[in-house]
Amino acid sequence: MTRRTALALSALLPLATVMPRAAGAKPLRIVCLDDGLAETLLTLGVTPVAVADREVWEKWVVEPPLPPEVADIGTILEPNLEFLQQLRPDIILSIPYLDGIKPLLERVAPVTTIGIYTPDGQPYQRAVEATRQLAALVGRQKEGEALIAATEAHFSDVRRQLSPFSARPVYVVNFLDPRNVRVYGRMSLFEAVFDRIGIRNAWTGETNYWGFATVGIDGLATSSDARLAYLEPLPEGAAGTLTESPVWNAMPFVRNRSIMRLPPVLMFGTLPSASRFARLLAEALMAESARG
Amino acid sequence: MAEQQALSTETSFRPAGRAPRFPGRHPVGALLLCAALLAAALAATFSNITAQLPRALWLDALASPDIDDMRQVLVHYAFLPRLAVSLLCGAALGLAGTVLQQVLRNPLASPETVGVSAGAYLALALATLLAPSLLAFGREWVALAGAFAALAAVLALSWHKGLSPLSVVLAGLVVSLYAGAIGAALVVLRHEWLASLFIWGAGSLGQQDWSATLWLLPRLGAAALAIGLMVRPLTLLGLDDEGARSLGVPLAAYRFAGLAAAVCLIAFVVAAVGVIGFVGLAAATLARIGGARRLGQQLVMAPLIGAALLWAADQGVQIATGPQGDLIPTGAITALLGAPLLLWLLPRLGLGAEAPALGAERLPRARHTGLWLAAIGGLLLLMLALALLYAPGPDGWTFASGDQLQALLSWRLPRVSAAFAAGAMLALAGLMMQRLTGNPMASPEVLGISAGAALGMMVALFALSDASRPVQIAAATTGAFAALLVTLAIGRRAAYAPERLLLAGVALTALFDALILVLTATGDPRAMLLLNWLTGSTYGVDAASALLTVTTAFCLFLAVPLFMRWLDMLPLGAVAVQGLGVNLRVTRLLVLLMVAALTAASTLVVGPLTFIGLMAPHLARRLGLARALPQAIGAVLVGALIMVCADWIGRTAIFPRQIPAGLVATLIGGPVLMWLLRRR
Repeated sequence: MTRRTALALSALLPLATVMPRAAGAKPLRIVCLDDGLAETLLTLGVTPVAVADREVWEKWVVEPPLPPEVADIGTILEPNLEFLQQLRPDIILSIPYLDGIKPLLERVAPVTTIGIYTPDGQPYQRAVEATRQLAALVGRQKEGEALIAATEAHFSDVRRQLSPFSARPVYVVNFLDPRNVRVYGRMSLFEAVFDRIGIRNAWTGETNYWGFATVGIDGLATSSDARLAYLEPLPEGAAGTLTESPVWNAMPFVRNRSIMRLPPVLMFGTLPSASRFARLLAEALMAESARG
Repeated sequence: MAEQQALSTETSFRPAGRAPRFPGRHPVGALLLCAALLAAALAATFSNITAQLPRALWLDALASPDIDDMRQVLVHYAFLPRLAVSLLCGAALGLAGTVLQQVLRNPLASPETVGVSAGAYLALALATLLAPSLLAFGREWVALAGAFAALAAVLALSWHKGLSPLSVVLAGLVVSLYAGAIGAALVVLRHEWLASLFIWGAGSLGQQDWSATLWLLPRLGAAALAIGLMVRPLTLLGLDDEGARSLGVPLAAYRFAGLAAAVCLIAFVVAAVGVIGFVGLAAATLARIGGARRLGQQLVMAPLIGAALLWAADQGVQIATGPQGDLIPTGAITALLGAPLLLWLLPRLGLGAEAPALGAERLPRARHTGLWLAAIGGLLLLMLALALLYAPGPDGWTFASGDQLQALLSWRLPRVSAAFAAGAMLALAGLMMQRLTGNPMASPEVLGISAGAALGMMVALFALSDASRPVQIAAATTGAFAALLVTLAIGRRAAYAPERLLLAGVALTALFDALILVLTATGDPRAMLLLNWLTGSTYGVDAASALLTVTTAFCLFLAVPLFMRWLDMLPLGAVAVQGLGVNLRVTRLLVLLMVAALTAASTLVVGPLTFIGLMAPHLARRLGLARALPQAIGAVLVGALIMVCADWIGRTAIFPRQIPAGLVATLIGGPVLMWLLRRR
């Protein structure tokens, strides 16, 4: 069921891109400075003219793939303004994090700022609202509602699929180095996904408004039956040194062999990342149970 | 001359007016302090371990932990090794600090103040990011190479001042700043969401097993043993050179051996846990203040105090964060505590007066000063044209022309003019500082004002959820003036004696660095914003702020002619100036205020890390511009030239990405500076 929903959703994509547009309207030239907003745009079937930090897409976002014609306008903190102007965008999509450079961007084109990660939390609701806002912006309300519905449907599929696994909580982490991790909790997109697919987050401590806390791996020992899901990419050398560490080897999830390695998922993402996370987690859990 | 001023260890390092008068030969104060620290550390350790494990299991956890009981595993493989590492590193740093102070005859020498820690850290960071295969040979070799390179640079920079205490510490600061700038560049250019470099660099003592302890033990032991075998010759090094030489000690060999052992200790610690701020300085100084007069006593007491200090600090951090809390690096916390200690120490150390440097300089004077100035001016105009018109675009390198011209100029003009004004102001501020202090290493960067501005910026970014540019500017200005007030308050006691002011600046800068480390180690994405600005990007400069900068510069430059007579006189030394009927206090205060205003206005644009203020006056002097006015004009032109050039390179070298102009200026400036300061 899960696969089918995901497949159905991805099958929509190429269709959406070639679908004839409203008579004569030229497509909006959008420059998107945030990868989370960019992935929603791409899923709605709209290709931005340029994004920031293009080369990290492969490493951190992966899905949906970024078409080769999308230009790179430099770093997210300092997108090249001269280049930006020569691209003649109709609109620039930004996030509150970049409010410092907003006056500069506004000299090139109108700026729409959409905040997913704010001190008020609720990234999932905000991602849903952002989807509607972006869909209205590019005139694809139908696709927007479809994306929201498909994401919800995907979650309930996954929830049904994962009901045998709901008893044990899961930590989701990124390794910073062999000793320290970022663990995702309240205020994170992953927590919202957990709530919707019926899995408990093992990390119940505080997080910042980006949704993570930085802790040593021994901070993950409080829950004795938790599983661990760690996200790629790994910093260099982390995997090798981990296996030698006695603390690591004594961690409950190592001794239970309940460790899952997940491909990269944008941790500061929107609905496509939420969906991708649910799918990858479900696949990893099923693979684990298949192994016995 | 400087050799005579570098007073011997035994007599001059006692805090003035507070000489401990304990009976007998034992360092009672140091022992008491050590006992107090140990008691605090023990109590904190007791509390921490009680929170983790019931008392009945302590022995089991220590001897043979039950692998099924996570609590025991954590105590055995995380808590205890962390404790051991804190003791080892604290002792090593204390020992290294004492040896450095003895060999360099410098009461302010320490792993941080002579740049060794920063050098080791930078080498490891470079290797991690650019050539990870190097680390396979052993982290210690990479760290050692960096530490020795940094030390060599510091010694080269301060050699002609006879390695006098102040010049060594200032050179150490410059090298640390340079290493820090390169480190920041690495992070900015490799923008990623994972900031492991920060955690490690900030000195997190966290352990997962005993490997770091076992790694450190033989290495630190060997270095400590080497020092132990050298106690007698090292003691003689504390005498002046003639005295030591007459006793038949091969001075140079033992100096080098002592330095090498200390640098090894520091490099091993940095390789194992990162930079642990100020423990070395604190331990060595406290041992001395506590009454350890003889080197033998110091070499025992300083490691003891260092170990107790770091142990207590680390357990304190664990109490504050809890066994599961968010990660606060101990090394950054010790630096936070250590910087005020340095400020407190300043007025209490007999450092001797520095000799004016520029007055004694034997550089040739140019005959055709006008010609030189015209040549630099012409070069500057050429550079300005290039910076405004020539850059890569979507279709490769082009000269801006036609309808493109106006659009492109609207972006480039503010940045170029702001860089121009900032470079000019920094150069003038540097010239004034160098003429005021008679110290060739003086500059606004080391006055602490830049750090104050950066601190204000940091508060704005972290205290307010959305800090717009005007708010950021206001905050940075407030910070700059707060730093100025602190510096002046410290300076007032010493009648604004230049060397005290500079050292206050050193301490403020260190405090600021520590805060940055703590904030960045939390991995907060806002730290990236801060780093971006710190590296001196002109990116955010719009027409309004460019106009503001240029106007400020113009107004301040109008006041310059009033200062020229003083600037000609000041390098002659305090006595000579007073002999000419000038009120030294007022003159110094006015010059300082002017420097502060120039620095604050320029730091807001190009960040606190450029070396323009240090470099431009030297370049002007090197061209033979000796009197204050021609040197000032030359320095201002050179400063503007370098900054405009740096901005242009930064905008074009890796298009569409950009390298912050301040960083480019630093990267160009560092080597140029070293070349300039090398005396033949």
